[in-house]
Amino acid sequence: MFKKESRLRSREAFAMIILMIGVKISNTTPSLFAQTGANAMWLMPSISLVVILPSVLLLYYLLKKYEDKNLVELLEDVLGSHIGKVIAFLLFLIFFVLMAIEGRSYTEQLKLLYFPDSPTPFVFFILFAIAFYGAKRGLETIGSASYIFLFYIKASVLLLAVLIFRETITDRIFPIFGNGLKPLVIEGAKKASIFSDVFLLTMAYTSFDSSKKFRLGVLSGFAFVFIEMTFFFFLYCTTFDYNSIDKVAFPFHELTQYVDMGDFFTNIETFFMIFWLFAAFIKYMIYLYFISWIFGAVFNIKEFEPLILPFAFFGIVAGMVPENAVINELVFKSSFMNMITPFFVGFPVLLWLVAKIKGDLRR
Amino acid sequence: MRKRIWLLILFLVPLTGCYDQIEVEQQTYVIAIGIDKTDVEGKFRITFQAANPEVGSTISSGGSQEEPRETVTLVGNDLIATKDTANSVMTKQIALDHTKVVVVSEELARSGEFLRLIQAAARTTELRRSVQIIVSKENASDFLKNNQPLLETRPHKYYQYMLSRATETGIIPEADIHRFFQITEGDADAFLAIYATTQHAEEKIEGNEDQYIAGQIPIEGGNPTQFMGSAVFKEGKMIDVLSGQETRIANILDDTMEMEALYSTYPDPKNKKYRIAANFTKDRPIDVEIDYQKDQPTKINITVPFSIEVIGIPSLVDYSQNGENRSLLEAYIPKFAEEEANNLIKKTQEEYKTDVFYWSLYIRKYFSTIEEYEKADWNHNIYPNAEINVDFKLKQLYFGKMIDDSNIGEVRD
Repeated sequence: MFKKESRLRSREAFAMIILMIGVKISNTTPSLFAQTGANAMWLMPSISLVVILPSVLLLYYLLKKYEDKNLVELLEDVLGSHIGKVIAFLLFLIFFVLMAIEGRSYTEQLKLLYFPDSPTPFVFFILFAIAFYGAKRGLETIGSASYIFLFYIKASVLLLAVLIFRETITDRIFPIFGNGLKPLVIEGAKKASIFSDVFLLTMAYTSFDSSKKFRLGVLSGFAFVFIEMTFFFFLYCTTFDYNSIDKVAFPFHELTQYVDMGDFFTNIETFFMIFWLFAAFIKYMIYLYFISWIFGAVFNIKEFEPLILPFAFFGIVAGMVPENAVINELVFKSSFMNMITPFFVGFPVLLWLVAKIKGDLRR
Repeated sequence: MRKRIWLLILFLVPLTGCYDQIEVEQQTYVIAIGIDKTDVEGKFRITFQAANPEVGSTISSGGSQEEPRETVTLVGNDLIATKDTANSVMTKQIALDHTKVVVVSEELARSGEFLRLIQAAARTTELRRSVQIIVSKENASDFLKNNQPLLETRPHKYYQYMLSRATETGIIPEADIHRFFQITEGDADAFLAIYATTQHAEEKIEGNEDQYIAGQIPIEGGNPTQFMGSAVFKEGKMIDVLSGQETRIANILDDTMEMEALYSTYPDPKNKKYRIAANFTKDRPIDVEIDYQKDQPTKINITVPFSIEVIGIPSLVDYSQNGENRSLLEAYIPKFAEEEANNLIKKTQEEYKTDVFYWSLYIRKYFSTIEEYEKADWNHNIYPNAEINVDFKLKQLYFGKMIDDSNIGEVRD
């Protein structure tokens, strides 16, 4: 049910989608892309976008048609209670695993770069404790927090872009297709799930004040974050040469460690780290909240907010499984992203086909 | 009561953030690292030079009689692991966050072992990518020990100012670790590192202002350390030394280098006994045109737009108002610069078989994949056989703030 008095308007949707996808610019995702893309990896988000965009639009079209239904309700309405629940549960599993993997990846980065002596479980625990605290406040708080912090987070990123610009050499993007057009397209398509968060956010569809504003916020945020991602990948490609880019595990932090503001302000990476960390907190708040929500919806648990605590705990446990960050990234995350791409591309199409056959769309 | 205890426990949680806390006072900031070869392969002599932050700061008024720096040399296998061994002498935890330079002895650089050691350094988060690489003629440990700056006694300020000023004048290249890796891993061009020494050559060479390499400059007084010229690294191995003049040309011809105006002298075309002093500014990026054909030698045309401000004409020939003389000068300076550039290019083509200007960047456009590009082989195939034509284009000629020089004939009258 759309509530006129809801505090969630298009700007909150805009901020949430940007922060959810935007943190992928600054974690290990670029280095994942660089393994095959090399100096052409800045083209890969475009390929991913082309692959995923029809499904995204299709899902948003269906949501509009069915009115007043969030993602899980839509699934159940179109596919019937059982199949709908199975797919919703799959969605839950996917996002839960994503949260665990990325949580671990974040923890590793934090530990490696800023807290070398702290034990990994501790850092992981603190990260999720804060995410839990935020998630527990509810969706409206998360939305407002996203909107409030969005400007500062993006301003710090912009500052970094300006500072690193001096060091970039544009000619490094040539040869334009890197390791070849074919591997580039295949890998870009496989990793289309980089934008999977757009699907997660549809869970909150009915919590916003109107359908139109929600779509406007999410889709414009999506466009913004896509441009930002391409731009930043471009910066990575022009800062590192094609033979070096795949060796860098945390390109964002390499940049923050490399830049300085004149001779006096050197070693300024901690400044960027604060904003980076805030973005991560908000992202995990959103994740925790939505995962619990999907789970609650699948198992008909109306009061799903008490589920946030156990899921935060299980998130830590699952995240601790991989042995180290490199294995986590290059093996688990990479193959997992490839695995879930067909699912995200496919299920909106399936929904649409079933709805079409059932004749629901002619209403 | 129970609530209060819970609250207390809750406040303990943020304390975990103190796991990694370390006071500024508990750390030693190593500013320069020296690396030397030993007789045993795989072992290196590593020198740490730490700054004493108390010296020269306004906070410690007088009191401190301590040295501005502490230099320790020891044998180790790895840069980072040796840090702990160094703690047997140095009192505090060694931090490399503020390291400004890595000094490598020429012997080690020429042996090609340097790449192994510095690779390991790139893996840690401590050593920054902006650390500059200096190649010293003598052992790096001697270089760091002999380097006794008189004015900037605090080493971090010394290296910061020394390098930034010398880079601005173009007599040394900009040579940070980041660039070293990009060029070395890119495997197409040669990397230029800063060349320096504290040992002075016996015979002083009589040359013009930038035709020296470090150690040859006939200078009196000051710190014995001289920064001049550059060490050429091909595939991670040092192969030669360029003089200050050649380094300047390399800097001019390389658009990825940041270089400001430089003062230089040119032979006076009307009176060869004297030289004209001028300020050379490259104010626009160079223009590189490449005509690449698979089976023929590649043609590379380079246009360097520059402007000259004439500062001194010791021969007192009137160049500013006499149109004929002026056009003579306008034609002469570019020709002179081209000649110098061509000499260096020829040297790189024939001796090094690779360029020191990062020009491989410009040919990349002609390939769509890395595979094709690497197959065409800039290093072995394209560059050594290329026909290169350098064209210095004098855009503007200034004559300082005087309209005319004093007429020596009238003065002497």
